[in-house]
Amino acid sequence: MAELWEGYALPTIIIVAQIMAIVGPLLIAVAYLTLAERKVIGAMQLRKGPNVVGPFGLLQPFADAVKLMMKETIMPSGANRIVFIMAPMLTFILSLVAWAVIPFGEGLVVSDINVGILYLFAISSLGVYGVIMAGWASNSKYPFIGALRSAAQMVSYEVSMGLVIITVLMCVGSLNLSDIVMAQKGDYGLLNWYAFPLLPMFVIFFISILAETNRSPFDLPEGESEIVAGFMVEYSSMSFALFFLGEYANMILMSAMAAILFMGGWLPPFDIAPFNWIPGPIWFSLKIAFVLFCFLWVRATFPRFRYDQLMRLGWKVFLPFTLFWVLLTAGVLVGFDLLPAAH
Amino acid sequence: MITTDLTMALPEIFLACAATTLLLFGAFRGEQGASFISALSVAVLAIAFGLIFLGNRPEGVAFGGLFVVDAYGDYMKLVVLVAAGFGILMTQRFIEREGMDRFEIPVLMVLATLGMLMMISANDLMSLYVGLELQSLSLYVIAAIRRENLKSSEAGLKYFVLGALSSGMLLYGSSMVYGFTGATDFAVIGENLSVALSTGGVPEIGLIVGLVFICAAIAFKISAVPFHMWTPDVYEGAPTPVTAFFASAPKVAGITLFARVLSDPFGSLVGEWQQIIVFVALASMILGSLAAIKQTNIKRLMAYSSIGNIGYALVGLAAGTQAGIEGLLIYMTIYIFMNMGTFACILSMRQKGTMVENIEDLKGLSKTSPLMAFALTVFMFSMAGIPPLAGFFGKYVVFAAAVDAGLTTLAVIGVLTSVIGAFYYLRIIKVMYFDEPTASFDKPIGGEMTLVLTVSSVFIVFFILFSSPIMDGAALAASALFAG
Amino acid sequence: MIIQALVFYVFAAVTIAAGLMVITARNPVHSVLFLILAFFNAAGLFVLMGAEFLAMILVVVYVGAVAVLFLFVVMMLDINVEKARQGFKKYLFIGGAIGLVLLVELVLILSSVVSTDVSVVASVPIPAIDDVHNTRALGQVLYTKYVYLFEASGMILLVAMIGAIVLTLRKREGVRRQVIADQVNRSREEAVEIKKVSSGSGI
Repeated sequence: MAELWEGYALPTIIIVAQIMAIVGPLLIAVAYLTLAERKVIGAMQLRKGPNVVGPFGLLQPFADAVKLMMKETIMPSGANRIVFIMAPMLTFILSLVAWAVIPFGEGLVVSDINVGILYLFAISSLGVYGVIMAGWASNSKYPFIGALRSAAQMVSYEVSMGLVIITVLMCVGSLNLSDIVMAQKGDYGLLNWYAFPLLPMFVIFFISILAETNRSPFDLPEGESEIVAGFMVEYSSMSFALFFLGEYANMILMSAMAAILFMGGWLPPFDIAPFNWIPGPIWFSLKIAFVLFCFLWVRATFPRFRYDQLMRLGWKVFLPFTLFWVLLTAGVLVGFDLLPAAH
Repeated sequence: MITTDLTMALPEIFLACAATTLLLFGAFRGEQGASFISALSVAVLAIAFGLIFLGNRPEGVAFGGLFVVDAYGDYMKLVVLVAAGFGILMTQRFIEREGMDRFEIPVLMVLATLGMLMMISANDLMSLYVGLELQSLSLYVIAAIRRENLKSSEAGLKYFVLGALSSGMLLYGSSMVYGFTGATDFAVIGENLSVALSTGGVPEIGLIVGLVFICAAIAFKISAVPFHMWTPDVYEGAPTPVTAFFASAPKVAGITLFARVLSDPFGSLVGEWQQIIVFVALASMILGSLAAIKQTNIKRLMAYSSIGNIGYALVGLAAGTQAGIEGLLIYMTIYIFMNMGTFACILSMRQKGTMVENIEDLKGLSKTSPLMAFALTVFMFSMAGIPPLAGFFGKYVVFAAAVDAGLTTLAVIGVLTSVIGAFYYLRIIKVMYFDEPTASFDKPIGGEMTLVLTVSSVFIVFFILFSSPIMDGAALAASALFAG
Repeated sequence: MIIQALVFYVFAAVTIAAGLMVITARNPVHSVLFLILAFFNAAGLFVLMGAEFLAMILVVVYVGAVAVLFLFVVMMLDINVEKARQGFKKYLFIGGAIGLVLLVELVLILSSVVSTDVSVVASVPIPAIDDVHNTRALGQVLYTKYVYLFEASGMILLVAMIGAIVLTLRKREGVRRQVIADQVNRSREEAVEIKKVSSGSGI
């Protein structure tokens, strides 16, 4: 009995508790990200944004959530029922499972696996299935066009994203996310973060994650002006809410990935007195918040890309450039004998 | 260490670099560059030929046993390069006339040739596979290159689907061999096997099954019966010069690989594979000669003829002796020239600007273009094995080796089928010389064709006079295979 | 260990079930989705074997890229499954016979494995998983021992790429393409013409 408790039950309880500790704050963060989006864009467009529900509109996300849950779930008669229902669930689940490998602080990670970055990359590459399944199962033209756009777009930008990750990996010498963060620790604080030595890669990575999360200016899969709402046209109520949650959780996830790869994860910008009093997870959250702000900033600033321009940018600009940069980085690392030692 | 490795693979590395350079060149130059790239490709093959023929590369294994350089491989590489060079030479004019001159065709042919060289030099099941795939993948694309033509697309698709199946069989067989011998390196497999057999063991059934799968896959690539089904359709559907290419260089590479695989790692299992090869050779010879009789399309006829010829070449392999391999090498060398010459004739069969490919269209060729009729006669007589032309010697050496190895029945049946085969070769001669002409072919046929025709017919006719360098080279090559 | 065994059986069972569904599902899109499920579970099996790098690469490459494009194509094609299955009965007998022969062969092989002399088998040294984790182990041999195969695979992929372009790229006439350089290089002089219009007389 004791063995059962120690060997199986206790670890299970611990793991479940850890999952809860991540998912709970994450969902709240998602809720407030939607509010932040409306507030930030409102401010940029000299509007107030939501300010009626609760003080400063702080209860607005919950009002939205309650509204969505109360609505009727509509299933189009021609839809493929199982796939139709599975698609939003898949999107949502995928945006959550990736958090298992994200280190919030030194040792603060659910599963510190060797190939953490590959796991993240793999999960983010699966995101397209939610969209493509939704588009197909809806059995309607606009969703299908949205799904096709999304599939092509995500596959295209994944290529350059992969090459960007390879550049970082060459500098780190490990695929473990904690190692990647620790490799950015150095005497120059902030300047040691890969965002500076690998600045062009950081820019490309940021643009690629915009495309990967189908965010503006690459939000063609849902481009409301031409294809209504793309793959989400036929969704309503909870299933729509799941897509919504998934999309925002993905944004946070990608921001966390950017923070880990390029902005030193949980490390403070300078390892001196007032900065290193603040615990790592807070720094990490601040960095994520910064990247998220850039997401919203971009959305408020740029018009949507045309589809051929999107493809051109991905294949004819990013791909050759990242490939060149991989070679350059490798050359510099080998030439100046900067290769990381084996861990 | 690595420098030696690179020197040993110099011809292959040169071809790879040249192919990518040509590709870039073509891509920047646009549509007009095709004929220039074609010429460059021939030059590239010629340089590779020089590197092998004149270059003083060290012999032995390179890249940790994945790659082998020996006289056997060198001889066959030279043959392949000659065949591929002729192939590209004949292609250019054709694709220009047919309005499909794309620079990718010669580049893909060079890449296919690279794959063949890699197959010939393979000394490991893995390098065998990558070489084979490189070659096949290029060929699938070239077969389907005329994408607006239904037959060409069908040819490409059929070739691809069946080719993928045979690659699957090869991998399945290789994994079994690996499982039962614990190695993919030919030398190690051979060693493990002979050790296991010398201690009184019997070969595992799983190993035999693996061997059979590998044999089946390679037999598919050289279109030996019963894995020949794709051949006539692909030969008919693919553009004619591409067919000429298919019928020559890949066959040489495939059969070279076949001989190396069977005699190097599985040399101690000769009793097991000999029966397979005997069966395949018999079936190919019989089907090749019988099915060709009722063909009216000359490309299909050549498809069956190539099946039959592979059968004869396999007779040499079936003997399992050094003399047999020597015969095989000589046979394939002669086959290349006969084949290229015949296809040069077929490519010259144009009436009023379009290709014709029926045997009927050859009517009265002796009156309209006597020289071409004479050349085709030479090739047909040679294919039929009539002395003193080269084809006779090819058949003679393989049959002699088979008789020496005690396979008298096989040799007798081989002679019988070549008599049957002679029927349809002679029928073409009859059509050319004794039927009344209906329409004449377009003239002139073009410098490249004339070159190929002249070279091949001179080779076929005067083989008897200058055969000794080839005979010596083949003997040296065969002894190299058996030394290792 | 019990959990490992359980997880193995779950992954293995789902892989096989999904594989079966791939060939029996009536809807081709469902087939592809089941194929993806099978890939995913195969990745799980790799993880159980300690080959986490292969597992992730399997997901990234096959599930994340290849299967997406495959699904893309299958969704766009209007495949008539009933029509495609018409030949099924006709070939059932011969296909079944071949399958049976292969099955018998496999059984024979498996039964012979039991009696195999172990000393002959597996002479290749495999670094223990504890010594070096498999990403590093792969990296150490891929560009050194197997560099020839690596480069050759590169050539194969190049050929595949050329082939895909050659067989599909069509130069269409009359398509207007955006040339960004031209747009950027346009100067004001050639774009607009400023004319003085005297009032009351029109242009």
